[in-house]
Amino acid sequence: MRKGSELPLRAGRLRTSTLLHVGALLAGVAVALSFPSMAPSPYEITVGIAILNYAVLSTSWNFVGGFTGYISLGHGAFAGLGAYGTGLLVTKAELPPFAALFVAAALVAALAVPVGYAALRVRGASFVIVSIALVLILLLVFQSWASFTGGSRGLVVPRPFPGMLRSEHHRTFYFLFAALLGVALLTWWIIDRSRFGMGLKAIREDEDKAQSLGTPIFAYKLVVFVVSATFTSLAGGLYALWFGDLDPVFQFSILSGAYMVLMALLGGVRHLYGPLLGALIVGYALEYSKVEYGDTPLHLVVAGLLLGVVVMFMPDGVIPAATALLARFRTSGETSIREVTAAELKERHGQGNGTDESEVRNSERSGSGG
Amino acid sequence: MSEAEAAAETAARPSLATVGLSKAFGGVTALDSATVTFHHGKVNALIGPNGSGKTTFFNCVTGMIRPDAGRTTYRGRDITRKPPHRIARAGIGRSFQLCRVFPRMTVLDNLLAAVQPSSLAGQLARAGRREETERARGWLSRMGIEHLERAEARQLSWGQQKLLELAGVLMSEPELILLDEPAGGVNPALINRICDLVRELNAEGRTFLIVEHNMDLVMSLSDHVVVFDRGRPIAEGPPSVIQSDERVLGAYLGV
Repeated sequence: MRKGSELPLRAGRLRTSTLLHVGALLAGVAVALSFPSMAPSPYEITVGIAILNYAVLSTSWNFVGGFTGYISLGHGAFAGLGAYGTGLLVTKAELPPFAALFVAAALVAALAVPVGYAALRVRGASFVIVSIALVLILLLVFQSWASFTGGSRGLVVPRPFPGMLRSEHHRTFYFLFAALLGVALLTWWIIDRSRFGMGLKAIREDEDKAQSLGTPIFAYKLVVFVVSATFTSLAGGLYALWFGDLDPVFQFSILSGAYMVLMALLGGVRHLYGPLLGALIVGYALEYSKVEYGDTPLHLVVAGLLLGVVVMFMPDGVIPAATALLARFRTSGETSIREVTAAELKERHGQGNGTDESEVRNSERSGSGG
Repeated sequence: MSEAEAAAETAARPSLATVGLSKAFGGVTALDSATVTFHHGKVNALIGPNGSGKTTFFNCVTGMIRPDAGRTTYRGRDITRKPPHRIARAGIGRSFQLCRVFPRMTVLDNLLAAVQPSSLAGQLARAGRREETERARGWLSRMGIEHLERAEARQLSWGQQKLLELAGVLMSEPELILLDEPAGGVNPALINRICDLVRELNAEGRTFLIVEHNMDLVMSLSDHVVVFDRGRPIAEGPPSVIQSDERVLGAYLGV
């Protein structure tokens, strides 16, 4: 899109595609915002909240995973810390709930600096292993320090809106999660089109080369890691205020981190809406299997199958796969037989000659270019 | 006389220089107290047999690996333990042995990724502003690959990738350009093209340091040749002198 803007010939197409994008965006927002009023019962709203929560988590994860290509399986730690931080600040420090949410996020951001400083020194598989370590450490700490965290008995977080009916509570949190998702997506989009984002993507492609071109790779990775941890923490904290009951086993699980990865990969990590789409698919599949098959581990099988399908058939995710498919349809549409006027034919010939010449020139160049 | 003196003076102006640069990998000595000076404004060449430490030398002076001992200076400034991005911003650009581009970025983005903003506002500003894009297109057309700007870099042929890599390095506006085997795996027509580009860019004021095994290219292109063997320089001088140096013949040219 950006590159198109410099080519006057493509200006017309660009405007249509921008309009299409904006239209699709508005339609998506409208559907998302009207969902609570259309939902037949509060249960559907809770499913909507769960999916939005997954979407925020996965989009937050994608700040690191999508831009830099560092696969963190330990982002559950930041969500758990956000949740427990918010819960403990409300119960022990008696902060107002939403102040606690942001204070907890600030604390997690501060903690993410040394964690990122240590973890981002190693690449590839080593980074994955290091990222898991934090979750396991925190799980042990929060389970055994029961006098402070409540341990396995759980931590009850008081509701932020005490007088509110349960259905109204769900509805409110649905919009809060939607707003958080909006901010996370906006931030991702701003980075994606910025020079900072270009540097991060260069790191994903070839870290040494990016560095040799002057990109301060370590600072870039650390900054985006902290941004990612902060959004993850906000999602965890909002969950704590909504759900009201925290258990270390669920808060500090590798599974929650793995879901973030699965969703982002499924939708497409290079794409703004990739994690959101992945969250819709995986979130719905998880809820469905929980409803259909009850409290069995079968939802894990479903998640595993989805991961297998992605890795085998759509390594870049649903969005790139769908785009490629659409492009194929579009080209076949252009070559279909239809009546042509003389003027069109003439015009096409004029263009044809032009492209022929440039093709000759190109092939000469690529000839000399090896 | 004054002209000759001026010429001698220019020849003596140091660009990149090392003193006692050493690096060992386990028990293998890659650089053995290498002391060498390359000349500002010239096309310098670094030759030597495989394993003589040329690429390690590149990696040490660009900060990619830390030397065990020794100092590196660039135009008189010590850059020994600076991180690679600082060295790049000081004006040293490099290509990699076997050519490295950002494979899943477009050709144009490969160049835009070399733009390094210094301020926070600059970092968050949109990539690919008009003047940046124009500058990138300028380099691409100079390489003769401007028609490929929207292609993904991995779709390009080997030779086109070599040209793209050079364009990316140039986009970062280096004064000194280190090229690691620019003619490796490249057809003769393109070798000529790369030679012409190096001459043009040198005439425009850029200094080059080239590691290369193609002796015809080295001898025709360079003003100053340094020969490495077992991690240290064994000879240096203009190509005509190097070609007839007995130690070089024994160590490298194998005649």
